Amino acid sequence: MVIERIKINNFGKISNKPIELSEGINILYGENESGKTTLHTFIKSMFYGLARQRGKSAKNDSYSTYEPWENPTTYGGIMWIRCSGKLFRLSRNFHKMNCFEELVCEDDHECLDISAGDLDAIMGGVSEAVYDNTVSVGQLKSVTGGELVRELQNYMASYQGTGDNSLNLGRAMQMLKMSRKGFQVQENKKGKAVETEKEKLSSNMQFMYREVEDLRGQCADLDEQERALLVGVDESESLAIFDQRIDLAKKRWNRTAAILLGIFLLGILGSGLMLVLGMGLLSSLPIIASLLVTLAGSSILSSINKEIRRRTIRRDKWIAKREKMKWTQGNMKQSLKEKETAYQNLVSEYQEYEQNEQGANVSRDIAAINLAMETIEQLSANRNHQVGENLRRRTSQILGEITGGKYREVLMDQEFQMQVNTSERTIPLSRLSRGTLEQIYFALRMAVGELLCEEPFPIILDDVFGMYDEERLASVLYWLYKEQKQVIISTCHKREEEILLANNIPFQRIDLT
Amino acid sequence: MKFVHLADVHLGAVPDRGYPWSQAREEEIWESFRRVITGIRENPVDFLFISGDLFHRQPLARELKEVNYLFSTIPQTRVYLIAGNHDYLKKDSPFDRFEWESNVFFFKEEELQCVKDSESDVYIYGLSYQHQEIAEPLYQNAGPNHAEGYHILLAHGGDEKHIPINFRTLSSAGFDYIALGHIHKPQEIIPDKIYYSGALEPLDRNDVGIHGYVEGSMLDGKVQAEFVPFAVCCYQDIRITLDEEYTQIKLEEIIKNKIRNHGRQHIYRIFLDGFRAPDFMFLTERLKNLGNVIEVIDHTQLAYDLDALYHRYYGTLIGDYINHFRDAKPDSIEAKALYYGLQALLETSR
Repeated sequence: MVIERIKINNFGKISNKPIELSEGINILYGENESGKTTLHTFIKSMFYGLARQRGKSAKNDSYSTYEPWENPTTYGGIMWIRCSGKLFRLSRNFHKMNCFEELVCEDDHECLDISAGDLDAIMGGVSEAVYDNTVSVGQLKSVTGGELVRELQNYMASYQGTGDNSLNLGRAMQMLKMSRKGFQVQENKKGKAVETEKEKLSSNMQFMYREVEDLRGQCADLDEQERALLVGVDESESLAIFDQRIDLAKKRWNRTAAILLGIFLLGILGSGLMLVLGMGLLSSLPIIASLLVTLAGSSILSSINKEIRRRTIRRDKWIAKREKMKWTQGNMKQSLKEKETAYQNLVSEYQEYEQNEQGANVSRDIAAINLAMETIEQLSANRNHQVGENLRRRTSQILGEITGGKYREVLMDQEFQMQVNTSERTIPLSRLSRGTLEQIYFALRMAVGELLCEEPFPIILDDVFGMYDEERLASVLYWLYKEQKQVIISTCHKREEEILLANNIPFQRIDLT
Repeated sequence: MKFVHLADVHLGAVPDRGYPWSQAREEEIWESFRRVITGIRENPVDFLFISGDLFHRQPLARELKEVNYLFSTIPQTRVYLIAGNHDYLKKDSPFDRFEWESNVFFFKEEELQCVKDSESDVYIYGLSYQHQEIAEPLYQNAGPNHAEGYHILLAHGGDEKHIPINFRTLSSAGFDYIALGHIHKPQEIIPDKIYYSGALEPLDRNDVGIHGYVEGSMLDGKVQAEFVPFAVCCYQDIRITLDEEYTQIKLEEIIKNKIRNHGRQHIYRIFLDGFRAPDFMFLTERLKNLGNVIEVIDHTQLAYDLDALYHRYYGTLIGDYINHFRDAKPDSIEAKALYYGLQALLETSR
């Protein structure tokens, strides 16, 4: 694709300016502040439009910077481009109140649709980002040697991995890691809270378990005591033993009483008999004797009575004691049961809590960040695989051509450190002169342009030859001529023109004033 | 005749364990049950049906005593009670042996039983869970006897593991009212006939929406029933659609206002969607301090115009990256990854 002609209606400080361009080398000569950058911005804006930023950043965006002071409604212009043999006219008005864009094929008189992608097709799909990385080549910004080497390294690495030198994969990854860290901290905090809660529950469980164990022990003790209290094998036998003893005593009492009654009756009978026989006073003897015996016997009876009472009391006491013990036992068993249920409930509570909290911990954000990092790495590796080696080879080739074969190859070692190969040895970048570094940079940029744009695109070289000596400049200009590239070289020196004239290389001179 | 139908009170549950409001909620569950009983005391009804899961776990004897005491304060009301899958009847549990007040009838068996009300021609049918899970459709062949009067079934379950219920068969079985429990969301299966009263108080973030009980009447052979909102707390969602103008403070203010308007006693899930400015990295944890906020679900996307960016970066890594996630579904991990990665790539570029 070639830009044939430009007409700037009103753009920045340039107004009503027609510019003719040659298919080969164009020299845009001008002092500083003469509008060279304005022309570059104009060309890019003609291709991609002039998007306005919103809010605060609008103050310093390109739209505001190049908005003309006079006749702002004619903010824009026309550009004629030739592609595959056909001439297209691309017109735009950027003004916010008067926005307009038009693409016409002047050979077919056909109106094309920019929003439907017709312009993209003509431009071979070169996106704005690719344009920034290929079409417009600025100066290396670094001043010192070390920085320059680093900058060049970064260029090479980012072209190989991303196709976009404005990207910085290292910093992007760093940023992702930082966000991930933030989420991890959040997660850990939550994890700790869950742990604390679990500890609380489990210490409750332990406490309850100890209670249950204590109660179990107490119950066992009571069982033991209950057994010790038994006289027989079990309760009914024990009771029977008590009753038996009482019965025995009662029987003894009955027997004794019967004997005593017998003796008493015998005495009465004896006395009566003797009285009948007329034994006079003597006849009172048996009754007295039996009375004495009965009296003595009644003391035995009363002692038996005492025994019965004692035994009954003992039995009643035993029964009362057992009842009390049973009541305590019952109570204790009930509270054991209660505590066991409470313990079981705590166990289920703990299990459910654990289950609920599981899985809730895997943060989607962390997973997403990991996926983002993996994907970036993988895509960049793909790109490196497709572009990397070709880029290195083409860069080497161009470098060889513009240095007259002095440096033949650009090499990347395992740490991605760049080196150049002369026919005799490899030299690390840090040992090369600034001029050579600029040449490598130039070769790299040209190679990137070829690899990223299927359709050859004009190249805008913005003051890139400042550090070149005459010889280097001549060979670069010759190379550009030989490659038949459309280039716009903007410069504030006369050297380029002089060298071109001296070498009989045709060129078009553009004057902005 | 009037009745109240309750279910899934879950006394003893500790909702949202680990969150600041957890303990208060535990008490509120008891308190709400108490308020139901107090309400009945003031406006007596003839029946209180409790369709299972009155307790969250195996009830302790002291808890049974508390509940029984409450029942004793409404002596005119006959209470009919079944055990559900949470408070299922373990052999030998205090639940099993407990002696209830004379106005309380507890269905102990795991097969359907029918009791006639002592004071009216109302027949109540029910069974209790004796296991945590019952996969057999125990209500499948349930049907009332042919006696004159109202026939009311207390049932618990309705999912695969907890007595599956076919509502079509059940609705034509001939019951006048079916008081269901187990599902926490209140539902009217058939108007004036089959209801899930839902949990009296919501128990966790899945129990969104209003909770309460069902109140009904039986008059001239007809049953009328109606859901009564009663719970003090409600899990609800706050949805905010962001745009590029949102900042942390603006977002916090809006959420604060919404919580104030809806009531600070409620528990909120905050859903964020829409777009936010790429430089607005908000702090979701801070939003959790604005009230009872249990979860913040962030579905916002960065305000990137993906098509425009893809167009602009076609042929470079960013273009590749956008293309790689082109078909990511909204809210998927991939969509999140797209924005995280894109943000990092764009923000760190020169």
